[in-house]
Amino acid sequence: MPATPAAGRTLGRDLLGLALIALVGLAGYWLFPDNLAFLTRVISVALLVLSLDLIVGYCGVASLGQGALYGAGAYAAGIACVHGVTDPVLLILIGAAAGAIMGLLMGAVMLRAHGLPQLVLSIAIVQLLHEGANKASSITGGSDGLSGMSPAPLFGLFAFDLWGRSAYLFGLGLLLIVFAVLRFVTRSPFGMVCRGLKEDPLRISALGIYAFPVLLKMFVISGSVAGMGGALAAIATQVVGLDSVSFEISANALVMLVLGGIGHLYGALIGTVIFMALEHIVAAINPFHWMTLVGAVLIAIVLFAPRGLSGTLDELARLLTRDRWGAGR
Amino acid sequence: MDSGSTRLRRLSGMTVVVPSAYDTPEQQKARSMQTALSIAMDALAYGMALFIICIGLSLTMGLMRVVNLAHGAFAMIGGYIASYAARDLGLGYGFGIVLAMIGTVLIAVPLERLLYRRIYDRSELSQVLMTIGITFCVIGITNYFFGPTLKTIPLPAELARSVDLGFRSIAGHRLFVIASGLVVAGGLWFLIERTGFGINLRAAVENAPMARTLGIRTEIIYAASFALAIGLAAFGGVVGAEFLPIEPYYALRYMVTFLVVVSVGGAGSIPGALAACLLLGAIDVTGRYLVPDFGNFFFYLAVILVVCAFPRGLMGRAQ
Amino acid sequence: MTKGFLNRLLPAGALALAGALALGASAMADTIKIGIIGPFSGPFALQGKNFQAGAEAWLAQNGKTVAGHDIELVYRDLPTANPQQARALAQELIVRDKVQYLGGVYFTPDAMAITPLLKQGNVPLVIFNAATSAIMNSSPLVVRTSFTLSQTTTPLGKAAVERGVKKFVSIVSDYGPGVDAEGAFKKAIEAAGGEVKEAIRIPLNTTEFSPIMQRIRDAGAEGVFAFLPSGPPTLGFVKAFSDTGLKKAGVKLFAPGDLTQESDLPALGEAAAGLITSFHYAVSHDSEINKRFIAAAEKAIGAPDLVSFPAVGAYDGLFVISKMIAATAGKQDAEKAVEAVKGLGWESPRGPVKIDPETRHITQTIYLREVAKDAQGRWINKEIASVPEQKDSGLTK
Repeated sequence: MPATPAAGRTLGRDLLGLALIALVGLAGYWLFPDNLAFLTRVISVALLVLSLDLIVGYCGVASLGQGALYGAGAYAAGIACVHGVTDPVLLILIGAAAGAIMGLLMGAVMLRAHGLPQLVLSIAIVQLLHEGANKASSITGGSDGLSGMSPAPLFGLFAFDLWGRSAYLFGLGLLLIVFAVLRFVTRSPFGMVCRGLKEDPLRISALGIYAFPVLLKMFVISGSVAGMGGALAAIATQVVGLDSVSFEISANALVMLVLGGIGHLYGALIGTVIFMALEHIVAAINPFHWMTLVGAVLIAIVLFAPRGLSGTLDELARLLTRDRWGAGR
Repeated sequence: MDSGSTRLRRLSGMTVVVPSAYDTPEQQKARSMQTALSIAMDALAYGMALFIICIGLSLTMGLMRVVNLAHGAFAMIGGYIASYAARDLGLGYGFGIVLAMIGTVLIAVPLERLLYRRIYDRSELSQVLMTIGITFCVIGITNYFFGPTLKTIPLPAELARSVDLGFRSIAGHRLFVIASGLVVAGGLWFLIERTGFGINLRAAVENAPMARTLGIRTEIIYAASFALAIGLAAFGGVVGAEFLPIEPYYALRYMVTFLVVVSVGGAGSIPGALAACLLLGAIDVTGRYLVPDFGNFFFYLAVILVVCAFPRGLMGRAQ
Repeated sequence: MTKGFLNRLLPAGALALAGALALGASAMADTIKIGIIGPFSGPFALQGKNFQAGAEAWLAQNGKTVAGHDIELVYRDLPTANPQQARALAQELIVRDKVQYLGGVYFTPDAMAITPLLKQGNVPLVIFNAATSAIMNSSPLVVRTSFTLSQTTTPLGKAAVERGVKKFVSIVSDYGPGVDAEGAFKKAIEAAGGEVKEAIRIPLNTTEFSPIMQRIRDAGAEGVFAFLPSGPPTLGFVKAFSDTGLKKAGVKLFAPGDLTQESDLPALGEAAAGLITSFHYAVSHDSEINKRFIAAAEKAIGAPDLVSFPAVGAYDGLFVISKMIAATAGKQDAEKAVEAVKGLGWESPRGPVKIDPETRHITQTIYLREVAKDAQGRWINKEIASVPEQKDSGLTK
């Protein structure tokens, strides 16, 4: 986003965006009242993908290990819940804290390398944590999963039940808050420095800015967002499995992000919704051979929508409105 | 469970766990030497199998700058073709290998023209997305046509036999893998460093427009090296099948291992890939012997340490 | 989003849903839906296909009507253990597709994620596979027609000692079922007078086993107990055991039957010959019922070599569900349905079985088998002894 002369205009657009997300979310609630557990899952993964966008899209650090942060949040919230901390809001905060700490550690290691080796570091970290969670089965339940948590009703009123209404609306609220905060963060001078580091690290360092602490800070923020996603999943599902800290979930997150388009927070949301809906629908229609179709769609996206879905939408919008200040990069 | 003391003893000198009380120190020493040698042979064979599969990926990633996550899918296709030729048609192992390499390349070349050519100069993330898509498709299609079961590639009698090395007997097949690995490494080095094709390839990699103005047809060079990489993948898939069995999920199951090995070695470097495969193979196998309970820990810990110490990979080129 | 808004929203939604549920129940009385969750794609697709084959074999033999009600199977794919997705799928099956019964489930964490929904959804869950003992304690509405590892492993202890093999090394994959198997075997072999000299847990994704074989050699064991997930790890293990000469040296390999799943046998081949396993079901089990079952299941799965144990779990699972439907006259009443099958006994393709009224887990004969060739030259698990009426010993802690 270039520093636009029309600051009021971006604020207005942000509010519009938030309202749009809320509207889509509530529409999902009314239109698909029977799929709320799935939609809650979408929100929790959306938080994961958003957190990944902070690192990939804003800092240019490729990661295939974002599951480490998500899983840290999920397990922290799950373990706390099993040990008697049942307030959902508190559990989300615990998840955020655990994710942030993990983000700090992971960033400290990953920022030592660049490019492909960096990617491999992220894989190694998530695999190590996966092994660790499997080994520490007395705390984490190992491969049988951590079960037996019963989060208290939200605000003492709304129970997390079969229909999953409270879980969904809780998740939607969380997503809106996080999204608003992230819009603010990415637009702040700090966010700008991150972008600068991605586009032209040399010039930024010539300005006397040392990259490491800046990027590390973004890792911590990203970790807390991913941790909240994990905690939300733990609360809504009441089971935490090893899959939450796996390479698979990390790779899926990256696929969704690239699909939606990196470097716009909207892209992360669009990618998550489209990918998961596609997978869900195709897998329900043909549970046996859906993989081929999803693969074909991924190929098609790369060929025909090179900048991700949101990038393509932007271009369309720009073509239609001929808006010079259009939401290009 | 191990008691702490046996583990300590084993760590300190690889002493055998149930030595009789009558073993002299010399006997014990000879025995632990034997064990160490035996582990080293296993590590070497495993490392070489990894090398044959991964070197093609190292070439595509390092020279052609394509993060081809579908590399394992091609190795798998090779394995399926060889299995079909050798087991179902009864054509034999050697013929199976040849058919696998030819068949896989024939499948890959149209893919290169249609899909890969369009992502050569795109961002790494686009390449990741597309090649994951290709992997999904290959898995789905394989599953549909060949079913989800394991496929074996029957070994000829000469390779199935155990060979006595003095300190242990080893499956002849493992020696074959080690030898193949050496041949592949030597052959590739020669091809890239000493032949006209190698010069053209390196020129195309360093500066494609300049190479083109010099009359080098870079598309052909790229297509040829892509085919070479795929052929090697197929070869690796077949000879490595004893280590990494062939089944539809092969392509995803080992994707991470392949990617990790190549990056640790430094993409594009043949000695780097060889070193990485041998090092990681050795750590994997030894870790599995000494502390099997924590086998994967050592592997990934080693990866983190190596990458932190050599951020470009063991012998990566400066970019 | 204000509280007032939520307050108004929730009861309204609940009312609408309850109405929809009631409507659904009365309007659809003639079609009863059964949701089956299993790994129909991904690395465990074969097991999922076996769920499908078993269920369809039952339908082919017994028709698609039970006590005057049509039944319809709704399949949902859950490729790997993923509790979050499991819960979402189960919720959707219950709330949207309005299934009256849930079946399937391959992995333990998935079952654990589904069980909290059963009571509210008024839906029983019949587990076709997921084999951890503890699942049964998580909800009274769960019935299981598969096995547990402690159930299948326990008879091995006595069998091994009877064959003069006492000193063991145990090798298991480091995950829930592996740890269960290790514990059960240790208990069984010690009770029979043998011992486990060394228990090794290896990472789940291991496919290269020569270092492990070296450990076995070093330990000087007479026998090896192994549990690994079927597929590449099993193949690697059995091959390495034979390639490294341990088998020739006379070391005996004992394992639960997962290791020699029939669909893996053609690939294992000669390397597995003579391997002794204990399990609740062999495809080659010699009975009229089993022959008919196998014929139907092979037809459903489309290839002769693919049928293995999850199919029989699904087949018996559908039988149990059909009894539930008959007992409740097609009405949705989970408690009554589960109550009706407690103590239910019948002749399954695997032999005589019974639902234990206390644990709701299946009581069955465990067979000792040896990998051998049958008359047509196909590799089979040949039954050589049987231990009748085995309950799940893992539950009685």
